[in-house]
Amino acid sequence: MWLKLIGCCLVIIAGTLTGFSLAARYNERPKQVRQLIGCITSLGSYINYVSLPLSEALIRSAGMIEGPVRDLFQQAGSFIDTSGWRSPQEAFAEALNMLENELAIHKPEREIMLLLGANLGAVDRKEQQKHLDLAKVELEKIHQEAIIARDQNVKMYRYLGVCGGLAIAILLV
Amino acid sequence: MKSHINWEKTVYPVLAPKLAGILKEALPQVLDQAMEIRLRTGRPLLVVTSSGDVFLSANGKAAAFPQAAYICSHEDLAQTMQLISKNSLYAFEEELRMGFLTVAGGHRVGLAGQAVLAGGKIVTLKNISSMNFRLAREVYSAANTVIPYVIAQNGNIYNTLIVSPPRCGKTTLLRDLARQISNGVPCLSFGGVQVGLVDERSEIAACLDGVPTADLGPRIDVLDSCPKADGLLMLIRSMAPQVLVTDELGRQADVSALNEALHAGVSVIASVHGRDMNDIIARPYVGELIREKFFDRYIILGGKPQVGTVTQIIAAQNNEVIYNREVGVAICG
Repeated sequence: MWLKLIGCCLVIIAGTLTGFSLAARYNERPKQVRQLIGCITSLGSYINYVSLPLSEALIRSAGMIEGPVRDLFQQAGSFIDTSGWRSPQEAFAEALNMLENELAIHKPEREIMLLLGANLGAVDRKEQQKHLDLAKVELEKIHQEAIIARDQNVKMYRYLGVCGGLAIAILLV
Repeated sequence: MKSHINWEKTVYPVLAPKLAGILKEALPQVLDQAMEIRLRTGRPLLVVTSSGDVFLSANGKAAAFPQAAYICSHEDLAQTMQLISKNSLYAFEEELRMGFLTVAGGHRVGLAGQAVLAGGKIVTLKNISSMNFRLAREVYSAANTVIPYVIAQNGNIYNTLIVSPPRCGKTTLLRDLARQISNGVPCLSFGGVQVGLVDERSEIAACLDGVPTADLGPRIDVLDSCPKADGLLMLIRSMAPQVLVTDELGRQADVSALNEALHAGVSVIASVHGRDMNDIIARPYVGELIREKFFDRYIILGGKPQVGTVTQIIAAQNNEVIYNREVGVAICG
């Protein structure tokens, strides 16, 4: 009897945790997209006003935030610094792969970052700003969608987690 | 004379890995005498040394004939370009328009490729197909011959113009003059004065992140990558130097800035491209400075018998040749 009870509790807890972790990813995504937009804005300033080399500009632009987005920019920056014969796009691709599990961003955001990487460093300041602005506009759109998705899904996944756990527990009993 | 290039820190990091690997294997005597490294797409890797051209083969040995040398690929040049520009062409817009970049160590990398025009003006270069690494060497005591002619008996510095064809040691001489004036010259009882250096092409002081990597003594302020005309006036206002040093005069704005410096009571040491005085007098703007006797001393450099040979020193006031290589004097060092 006790064993059954403990088993049921564990199933319910596992279901709840799964629901909450799925919900957390929906919660995290708009936050990280917002951070990406902030970093790109700051990158624009370091490129346009201070004319910092790309590696340093990337590292500095993410200096004020915490979390995986900071790691993404800093990792890409240090890749460019240590193996400068590779393109910024490769550096971003490698950093995105490394941080795949930590980042809550989806495929469209990744594609925007890769496209931005492909256009970084190879043109003059004016052109550079155009690419940064384009990436920001695209990310803004994604940010809005991510907020709507979050509002719809966070509660749903949490309830689904708890209810799913309960349902399995009932079925097993 | 001590001359030195820090290959590990200044040259290899800005060359494509394959090219750096080849140069690392090259004979020390080739590297010691190297003046230029020339990369051309589809052409052999060439090191120009003081005793002639050396084609390098893939194992770093000197190739007997060009066909046996390592052929630089498009990728080698593209990677090198990424490395010298630190993947940040936007930070070098002006330099690209001029056709060269300066890398750590003060080495100047000349570029040739396809010019991109907008409204009749060069916007940038694309498809870079040739690169010339002009290696900068710090030569301590390069200015020993000329320094007694540049410092007046009362300890003032004469306004001096260095006239030299390209690759004859103009920048090296300017650097050592700046260093000696900033350090002081004990054998002339000269204690050293405040020196302002406008280093438009980052060649003299070889600044890295704004800090000179060349040894320039204790009394030097460097305005790095700054247009000469603006820089000279900025330094006069901000740092109150007693001597201003700059290179390669040529534009009208440079000349009016120099006039301003003279009126502010600051001595100026500058350089200009040319073979001799007749060459310079005929030039616009700079010729004007000569006709108006702005300078007190002219130092003429030549490439023979070796780079950096002082051919003549002329006192401007009475056009008297006060030093002639054939006669030859060496006072300090």
